[in-house]
Formats: sequence, C-alpha cells, structure tokens
Amino acid sequence: MSARVRFFSRIRSVSLASVVFTLLLTSCGISGTSTTPSDSAAQEAKSPVVIGVSGPLTGDNAEYGKQWRKGIDLALKEINANGGVKGRKLEYVFEDTQSDPKQTPAVAQKFVADSKIAAVIGDFSSPASMAASPIYQRAGLVQLGITNSHPDFTNTGDYIWSNTSNQKDDAPYLAALAVQKLNKKRLAVLYLNTDWGKTTTELFVGKAKELGAEVVVQEGYLSNEKDFRPILTKARDANPDALILISYYNDGALIAQQRDAVGLDTTVVAIGSVYSPQFIKLGGEAVEGVYTATRFYPGDPRPEVQRFVQAYQKEHNEDPDSFSAVAYDGVRILAQVMEQYGTDRKAIRDGLGSIKDLDTVLYGKASFGPDRRLQNPRFLPLVVQNGRFELWNP
Amino acid sequence: MWDQLLNGLVIGNLYALTAIGITQIYGVAGVVNFAHGSVYMVGAYIGWMAIAWLHWPLVPAILLVLAGSAAIGLLVERAAVRPFARAGSTILLLTTIAAGLIMDNAAQIIWGPQTQALRSPLPQWQFKLGGGTVSFLDLFILAAGVGTALLLHLFLYRSRAGWAVRATAQDREAALQMGVDVNRVSSLSFAMAGAFAGLSGLLVGLYFNNIYPTMGASATLKGTTAALLGGLGNVPGAILGAYVLGITEAFSVEWLGSSFRNLMAIVLLIGVLIFRPNGLISARRALNPEPTAGTFIPHGRPLRFPRWLLPAVTVSAMALPLFLSNPYPLQVLAIAWVFGLMAVSLNLISGTTGQISLGHAGFVTLGAYASAILTSRLGLPFSLSLLVSPFLAAAIGVLLCYPALRLRGQYLAITTMGLGEAISLIALNWEGVTQGPLGISNIQPPGFFGYPIVSPAGMYLLAFAVLLIGVWVVHRLSRSHLGRALRAMREDEVAARAFGIGLARYKSIAFGVSAFFAAAAGVLLAHSYSYIAPDTFTFALSIQVLTMIILGGRDNAVGAVAGAVILIALPESIRFLGEFRFILYGLLLIGMLRFRPYGLFNSAT
Repeated sequence: MSARVRFFSRIRSVSLASVVFTLLLTSCGISGTSTTPSDSAAQEAKSPVVIGVSGPLTGDNAEYGKQWRKGIDLALKEINANGGVKGRKLEYVFEDTQSDPKQTPAVAQKFVADSKIAAVIGDFSSPASMAASPIYQRAGLVQLGITNSHPDFTNTGDYIWSNTSNQKDDAPYLAALAVQKLNKKRLAVLYLNTDWGKTTTELFVGKAKELGAEVVVQEGYLSNEKDFRPILTKARDANPDALILISYYNDGALIAQQRDAVGLDTTVVAIGSVYSPQFIKLGGEAVEGVYTATRFYPGDPRPEVQRFVQAYQKEHNEDPDSFSAVAYDGVRILAQVMEQYGTDRKAIRDGLGSIKDLDTVLYGKASFGPDRRLQNPRFLPLVVQNGRFELWNP
Repeated sequence: MWDQLLNGLVIGNLYALTAIGITQIYGVAGVVNFAHGSVYMVGAYIGWMAIAWLHWPLVPAILLVLAGSAAIGLLVERAAVRPFARAGSTILLLTTIAAGLIMDNAAQIIWGPQTQALRSPLPQWQFKLGGGTVSFLDLFILAAGVGTALLLHLFLYRSRAGWAVRATAQDREAALQMGVDVNRVSSLSFAMAGAFAGLSGLLVGLYFNNIYPTMGASATLKGTTAALLGGLGNVPGAILGAYVLGITEAFSVEWLGSSFRNLMAIVLLIGVLIFRPNGLISARRALNPEPTAGTFIPHGRPLRFPRWLLPAVTVSAMALPLFLSNPYPLQVLAIAWVFGLMAVSLNLISGTTGQISLGHAGFVTLGAYASAILTSRLGLPFSLSLLVSPFLAAAIGVLLCYPALRLRGQYLAITTMGLGEAISLIALNWEGVTQGPLGISNIQPPGFFGYPIVSPAGMYLLAFAVLLIGVWVVHRLSRSHLGRALRAMREDEVAARAFGIGLARYKSIAFGVSAFFAAAAGVLLAHSYSYIAPDTFTFALSIQVLTMIILGGRDNAVGAVAGAVILIALPESIRFLGEFRFILYGLLLIGMLRFRPYGLFNSAT
C-alpha cells in the first residue's frame, strides 16, 4: 500500500470512527438532557400521556410485535377520539427489543428515566420481560405484561401486572372440553417445551386425569422444531383417541399437516393460542375439525367484541387475532385506570389494584386479583369448519 | 421402528439438500458463508411470489429462483466478500454475518414478519410405506439434490471454468499467478452457491408449506452439521451425513423424547469427529490445511494512540456515574462492560490461540446457572458465588470441550457451536436441577456483605470492576510464557508441537481461563436479570461476541472492549430508525471493516 493511500485510509478510518462515536454520544446526550421533568402543572396538562411499549419489532418474534402495534394503534385512536385521558392525549413509544434480555433492561432504564412515561406494556418472551421487571419494580413504574403467562411473572413485585392468564384457567377448560364434551379418554399431548407450554401442559394433564382420562403420550418439542413426523409416529403407536396440542399457531399448523404422513387421524384439540387466521392459512385442509377454546373470538356475539372486531376490520382490513386483542385491552386497561386514578406512576399502580369492572374485550367486565392478574376469564369452544373458526355448541 | 427409519430418511433428504449446497461452497470458496441461510430464505420468498402471486407452475418458478438467488449471491460477493478477500477468511465470517443480517431485516420489512403458506403446485400423490408415506415432493427433493450435485461435479471436473474454480480454492495466489481471474471465479462460486441455496430454500419451504424471514438460521445449522459429519467439501459425504443425522434424530425422538433431538444430533457430531476428525468420508487421514487455522485475522497496522490515553479513558469511565444521572446510558454501558468481559475472554481462545469458538454462550449459561442454583438452593451469598461459580463452570466447560480440542479450524468452530447449544439443551432437559423450561426466577440481586447493588451506577461500577480484573488477568497471561505458547499454536500448530507444546493441554488452559471469565459475565447477568431460562443466552450471543473481537482486533483486550461498547451501544443509539435499525447496523459493520479490515485496534506482532 502506498503512503498516499495509507494516509487516506487513515483519514477515512478516523472520520468513520468519529461518525460512530458521535452517534453514540448524541444518543446518550439527547436522552440525558431530554428527561428534565416539567414541573409546571399547566404545561403538563397539555402534554400527552405516554405509554412505553417494550417489544419485538425485528428478529424472530417480530410478527407478534406487529400484531401488538395494530391493537395499540386502534385503542389509542378510539381513546383520543373520546377526549384522551383526563383531557390529555394518550400516546405510546414502541421500543424494539427483539425480545432479547440484553436489550430489555436498557429499554427499561430508558423508560424509567423518561418522566413522560406513565406506565409500560411488555415485553414478549419470559426471559426478556422478567430481566426488566426488577428495574421497573425498583423504580416504581408499572409493567403490564400482556402476553406473560409465566407463573412467576407478577411475583417480582407490586408494580408488575398482567392482563393475561397464567393458564390456570385455560388449560383446565381445555381438558374439560376434551374429556367431558368430546368424550376422549386416551390423550396424546404434544407441547411446546417453553415455560408457557410446560406450565399449560401440567395444568392440562392434572385436570384431564382428574376427569378420568388417560394420558398415553406427553412429549415436549423444541421451539424451532419443524419436523414432527417422529413425534407423531410415537404418538400414533400409543393409540390415542385424541391429539392435544399445546402449541402456537405456526407449529400447530405444521403438526396438523404432518399428521397425515404418519396416518394419525384422531380428533385434534388445541389450546387457544392456535386461534389466529394464520392457523387456517398455514394449515389449510389439515386443520379442518380442530377443536379449540379461546378467550377471544371475533364471532363472539358479546357487544364489546363485535364493536372491537368491526373497528379493527375498518382500521386494518383484516380480522384481529389474540395478540392484537391483548394489546388493545392492555392499553385500554391503563387508560381506564389513569382516567379514574390519575397519571402518576404510583397512582396507576394503586389504581390497578382498586379498579373494579374494567371494560375489556377478552374478559368482559373484569378486575385484577391478588396475583395481579385479571380474574375469571371466559372461554368459547370453537371448531374449524370450511376454513373458518366457528362457534361449537355441543 | 421401520416407520421411524422412514421418518429419518425423509427429513435426512431435506438436510441433504442444504448440506450439499454448504459443502460445495466450502469446497469452491473455502469459506463458511454465514449469509447462506439468508440467500436460502430470499430464494424461498422469490419462489413464493412466483407461485402464490403470479401463479406460475413449478418449473418456471424454480428457474426464477435460480436466477434471482444467483443474483443475490453475486451481490453478497461484490459487497461483502470481494472487498475483504485479501484480509483473510475470518473477516468474511463477520461481513457475511452482516450481509445476512441486512437481508433478514429487509425481508421482514418487504414481506412482513409473519409466516407465509407456500402450497406445493406438485401433484399431491403419495404412496404408503409401512405406517408412513412418501410423497411425490420427497422424491422430487431427492432428485433435485442428487441432480444438482451431479451437475456441479461435472462442472467442476469436466469444464475449464471448473478447473479454475478448483485451482482458486486450493491456492488463490498460485491460481492468480497462473492467469486465473480469481475475481471472476469468486463471483461464479457465489452465484452458484446462491442459486443452490435459493433452490433448497424453495423446496424446503414447499415441504413444510411454510416460509418466514428467519427460516435460514435453523436450516443452515442442520445443513452445516450434516456437511461436517460427512466431511466438508465432500458431496457424497454430505448426503451420507444428512441421512445419518436424520435417522439419529428420528430415533432419539422415539427413545428419549423430542426435547433430546438436537442434543443427540450434537452428541452424534462430536462422537463422529472424535474418531474421524475429517468426517465420515475423508480421503486422507491427515488433517487438511485449514484456511482459518493459524491465520485468524492476518496482521494489520495497529492503531497508535498516546500512552496516557488508556489510563485516562479508564479513569473517566470509572468516574462516569458521578456525572451522568440518567440511568439509561449507564445501563447500556454496564451491559457493554459485561459483554466486554465476554469478548476479552473469547479473545484468549480466538485471538491469542487462533481457535474460532462459536459456543461462548454455553460458558455464559454455565456460569449463570451455577450461580443461580448455588445462591437460591444452597443460600450462597453473591460475593462467594461470583468466585465459586466461574470455577465450577470452567471445570465443566473444559471437561465438555476436551474431546473437541483436537479438532481444527472450521471443525472446531462448528463443534463449539454444538457444545454451546448442548449446554442450553441440558439446562432445558435436566429439570430436577435447572427447572427446565421454566427457568430460575427470583435470583437475588448482586451485593456484598448484605448490601444489595441495585442502582444503575452500582451495577455499572460492579461490571466495570469485574471487567478490569478480567482484562488484567488476560493481559498478564498473554504476556507470559503461556501467552507465547498459545500464540505459537496459532501461528503454526505443527511447529509448536515440535517445540514441545502439548496442543490439547494448552488449548484446554486457554478454554478454561476463557470459560472462567465468560462464566463470571454470566453470573453478573443472571443476578442483574433476576431470571434466567435455557433460552436467555443463545447462539446469537456467541456470534455477537465473536463479532466484537473481530471488529475490535485480534489478540487485543482494548479492541475487544471497544468492539463490545460499539456493538452494544450502536443499536441503542440508532433506535430512532425502528425496523431499519439492524439494516444500518449491518451496513455500518461492513463499513467499519472496509476501512479497518484487521479490526479497529489490532496488536502489532
């Protein structure tokens, strides 16, 4: 390399490095200075109330974050059309974390330091969400987990809440559906081997056995699994009369499809997480006749559900799924609490504990229990018929 | 029994398709191309657009996929490979990772993150074999795999261009001197590899009726494992490896359970490589010269800075919490220090000893679990656990890695990747001790003598202190006799052995010390997160730590820490870009390497 070229490459590397460091510094600098709390009450009255959302917009779980955003956008549009919260506009900041536990604590500190943030929604997976919980708890900022079913999620402290069930209602309901209503006695249970799948399966199996059914196969599969032929062969050889899927819609659809290749043609009963238009799109004919039970179903005749579904279809031109519905509910829960109890961080926590009869899509009128989760979820039994989820009335 | 054999053959068929592509690129280009999985994904999407949107029949769709993904392969070569070709093949590891990152994120923006159904336009015809079925698509995939392998073979051994490709793979400089246009050969190899990757992406997508933007990662993992089992660069070996892998997996599901599937695949890989270090089918007993062994990051021009700068930066970093009241940058930097510790420790393996390790997350997981179990089950205080857990983790880590240490280059790299994965799979399956998928929650915060450290400034200082200890120890080690021995192994294993350096023993010392500090980082993270699960520290983390030291510069602790700070703070500082964040991240990574191909700080040797 000639001296001239070397000189230029040196100049370039120095300038590149300075660009990078400027980027780093400005980011710290901007966030460092932009957090001075506005003490003038008049100014605060006009400024919007902001909800922080910590969730995946890129990476492996990006599709769930996108669904959240659709639900949140709709909720905010409706709330602001009705005058916002205490006369102030409600907004949100969505920070992408890729649902990565190395990024969620940083985002948590960012939200904590930003006095405009009144409460936080998220994150998606348990490791990502629970790595941030101690930070929210210590700082006294409400973390409302909208998809967090891990039994220990709300145990971190009194600022950690969830509007999703920890499966202690969902799984037994599904067991009753399979054993009592469908009269199945030999169950083969396949579950996603994560904290969610494991917890759900244990609750399901406990209830199914109590109701007199026999669990002939109980097998967990890894979350990146695509090839289910071996596990289905194993299930088939145990001669079950129903296949129980504790799965998400992507893997549930794969299992339903590959069933045919090993000749396992029993009834399929799947947990409510398969409820998504994607399940039918991906599974096609293979998911015909699959039974499930969900907390959310667009065909649910309840007026609050119909209103939500119509508004959602108008806004996004598609049916909502349960991920957009929980996000919609999450924002509306926070808005209702803030309207009644104020937008102070501590007031929101106290409000979550005392508020009664929240308006929700998933639970109807609902309140939080001592475990800081919404109580008494309701379920609807569904069956896939002619490429649609239909209400099933036994 | 027979049904499981059939299941193994059917999935082995899919692995074979990917493995042939990977083994071929390795054979012709001599690099493990980390963008391969992304080209595979783009190929699947091109086919999906042709079939689902344009309603093309399969054959023209395949032609479009071949052309489109060959073009993508060319683009990767021009942007991420050719500008770095002179800087050695390790830098290509990083630039191809960056290229893959850009493609994956672009795909999420263009086609959306959700899974798309890809219905096969082939006849749904199938026949029964025992209790299972074989479909027309299975046979089509078999034919496609074998057919393209034959075509490639004919091309490589019967045409002049193929001759040039082989010559370049053997010795780039010599081929150049003999008048081979090595740039054209490189383009050709990547175009072919791209076409093949795209085709396999499409066919695997058709098989599962299911494509999504991050589908490349797991598929290439299986493909690489199969290629390695058979022997890299060997097509019949790749096919054999794929079937052996498929059958092993099917039977481990039958006998042990589905959660053990990948664990058994790793056990198989390590078991085979112990007895046959060059894979099942290898012509020569001797180890091939590996392009990466010994030449891990060639020497570059070190960055000169005044002597006082380093202590000054250290002191100001220590004083930072006094001036910065915002916890957000402190938290980002605290995580950067912990990752700096991981990078410094990996540098001992990959920078000083010259062994690429892709399994660093495994050591971090070991440390995190050891400490979580010791503190919550046995009531050990954090201060004691911070000392004991790393020792424990290092001992277990060295025991696990020991059989793999006689492997070299790419074989060692892929095996460490397997070991890293195995550690988290053990955490998943050993429920009695680790609570399996539920993970361990309510881990106590770090603290000393009953005083918990929970403030961001406290965490920051704790992480920085442990980092300084790590840097100091690693620095002392690498200046000692030990460091010279490790460097000798990096430069020339044969010569080092001739001088009486016991390779496996010295490598295990390097792995042991490295595992110790990686585990210490795991302890810090476990206690600050308060919750760990088997998927807290993933393969992506191993790759990221490796990226840090390649960016920072080999064998240089300052570089490793700088790499960590940049790669942790960069994505945070460009948050305003939203979904485009990781595209810019990838571009900046390639940009930085374009100007400092040997890393930002590299040590003079």
